[in-house]
Amino acid sequence: MTTTQPSPTTPSGSSSSPDASGWGPGPLDSSDAAGVEAGASEAPAWLIVATREVVVRVTNRAFIVSTLLTIALIAGFGAFSLWQGSRTTTYTVAVTNPEGSGLVTQAAAAAHQDDQKVTIDARQVPDEAAARALVESGDAVVWLHDAAGGWTLTSAGEVPIALTSALEGAVRADALATNAAAVGTSVEALEKGTAVTVVRFDGSPIEAGFVKGATFAFALLFLMAAMMFGQQIAASVVEEKQSRLVEIIATAIPLRQLLAGKVGGNSVIALGQVVLFAAVGLIAVSFSEWSSLLPALSVAVVWFVLYFVVGFFALACLFAVAGALASRVEDLQSTTAPLTTALMLVYFASFGLSGTGAVIASYVPIASVVSMPARILAGEAAWWEPVVSLGFMAAFAAVTVLVGEKVYRRSLLQTRGRLTWREALRTPE
Amino acid sequence: MTTNGTSAQASGRAWSDLEVRDLRRDFGEVRAVDGVSFTVPAGALTGFVGGNGAGKTTTMRMVMGVLSITAGEVLWGGRPITQADRRQLGYMPEERGLYPKQPVLDQLIYLGRLRGMSTAQARTSVLSHLERLGLADRSRDHVEKLSLGNQQRVQIVAALMGRPRGLVLDEPFSGLDPEAVDSMADLLREHTSRGVPVLFSSHQLDLVERLCEQLVVLARGKVVATGTPDELRSTSVARHRLVLSGDAGWVRDLTGVHTVDVDGSTALLELLDPGAERALLTEALRRGEVHEFSAQRPSLAQIYREVTA
Repeated sequence: MTTTQPSPTTPSGSSSSPDASGWGPGPLDSSDAAGVEAGASEAPAWLIVATREVVVRVTNRAFIVSTLLTIALIAGFGAFSLWQGSRTTTYTVAVTNPEGSGLVTQAAAAAHQDDQKVTIDARQVPDEAAARALVESGDAVVWLHDAAGGWTLTSAGEVPIALTSALEGAVRADALATNAAAVGTSVEALEKGTAVTVVRFDGSPIEAGFVKGATFAFALLFLMAAMMFGQQIAASVVEEKQSRLVEIIATAIPLRQLLAGKVGGNSVIALGQVVLFAAVGLIAVSFSEWSSLLPALSVAVVWFVLYFVVGFFALACLFAVAGALASRVEDLQSTTAPLTTALMLVYFASFGLSGTGAVIASYVPIASVVSMPARILAGEAAWWEPVVSLGFMAAFAAVTVLVGEKVYRRSLLQTRGRLTWREALRTPE
Repeated sequence: MTTNGTSAQASGRAWSDLEVRDLRRDFGEVRAVDGVSFTVPAGALTGFVGGNGAGKTTTMRMVMGVLSITAGEVLWGGRPITQADRRQLGYMPEERGLYPKQPVLDQLIYLGRLRGMSTAQARTSVLSHLERLGLADRSRDHVEKLSLGNQQRVQIVAALMGRPRGLVLDEPFSGLDPEAVDSMADLLREHTSRGVPVLFSSHQLDLVERLCEQLVVLARGKVVATGTPDELRSTSVARHRLVLSGDAGWVRDLTGVHTVDVDGSTALLELLDPGAERALLTEALRRGEVHEFSAQRPSLAQIYREVTA
């Protein structure tokens, strides 16, 4: 440790770097503070604050538990999809004659070609009573039997569409073949020229349902993170204010540094958590039936994370202000109310809007965090649109940080109860 | 008032006085602090005394820059104090608070680092202070697990750690047991012997009397008395105790004497005129015997009542 000896004069004012100013003028006789001298701090104040925020948050049990739970939930969705995807469905059809058995074999072949996980088995029983008993006991889904002019499916309840259409197809094909042979032609000749192929202009293979689901996931993820971290920032600000710890901190570092550290530290954890969730989510999707959509989804997710960073930064600053306006933890609910309301609006707007409304929302800061990635995923946004919209949000964040910092500084050292946003702006520094 | 520079000279380095000049603070219509001026000399323990609402905390908050000043100024070493100067002062706010869910050692190191110490320096200083205050074995505990008195000790460490160039402490002794009061007093004396100016407020007048080299008495936002305890005593009217063989009630009728109290044969008197002493004793001896006639050393509490009345 180097021991600098400040000049014998008194500290030379604000122009001297606070880091360079020593702790007392050189070693002295007293035994306390065992030779602690000339502490050149190794990090800027905001970084010290940010580091504390991160460490305190990451070692918080509630935080760890909720993070693990969410990951388990997302992974659970992936596992469920995987199980759902690998599950085979077997339908048993009761038949009372060999013709029926033959039809079931045909239907099984067709169904299997359509969906490899579907198998249809025929179960030959001697008579109608046995067939009915089989259906009633649930061992067979339906009883296929011939009736006047066709075939009948008798069931105890609703018949799965896949089974009905497979059996219908088999009966139709069989009847067509018989009828065609009777008039001296073939089924192929009859069906010639009936094939229909679907060609889409947009080439987008993404179903609307999937886009909706992903949008919902984005919205939920953003809302959760913003609410949770926002409230935590506000709580940690008011904790310092209520305990007057902020007075000690304020004499040590500029309040701007304190705010920067808080917002920075919490943004880093929030971002880390969202990236973690998004990664687990993408892995989950890769196991699901939508795995082919992964590339398109990944692009949207990257945009979402980008928007999230900028949007969260602005929100974090606002939540810090909300914390500074309160004077006790109990006040937080009312000082954060405007923010939580705005967040709920964004949440509902993100999947409630469509058409022009959705386009507008994708340019409105904060709302765009969810709306623009959704439009990107749906393939509706031109390449420049997210860039422009992100620019809007960055501008919004910059203004928020500037105004927020002002309100924060003005209200943080006020001890006379709760302030409104307006009062705080009017308060002289 | 002059600077008490003995210890500063002894260490061969100049220390700064903390000075408050015509300080004023208005809260709306209310003038909480009204033209307060005093000096906290380097190397001296200055007690800041006054009733509730007298303006002590408001004054200290303005000194530390956490409350804006309506008018007047705070000087450090003879020139306006800066944020960089304040960074080197140890401060203990009126209401106590720390991070309840963080271990004692961690948060004290954090506060030390904010004031520019390195982690290693802060750790050394914190541990030695905790040792002194008997909290060494609690350094890993969360603050919320400590008793209020022990939380108070942690708060003391927060203000005293490192080597502050000045100390501003709002009620540092409240909530401490006698043993901790002594440790705290020793600590403060160590700082003043380094040449540091120390300002502390207290309601415990006996403690202030015992510890302070210098006193500032505040009432209704104004300084009503300032000086050493002896200087304050000399401004006070001397009191005398008179014990007679008979009833002492007659002293009430004597001119030049103010009777504070009469209890049977004992009277507590203030002699207002120079010749009153002789007249009093002559009359007393004429009426009977005088068992005791002695000057009473006024207590600080008594002086306090006088100056704030």
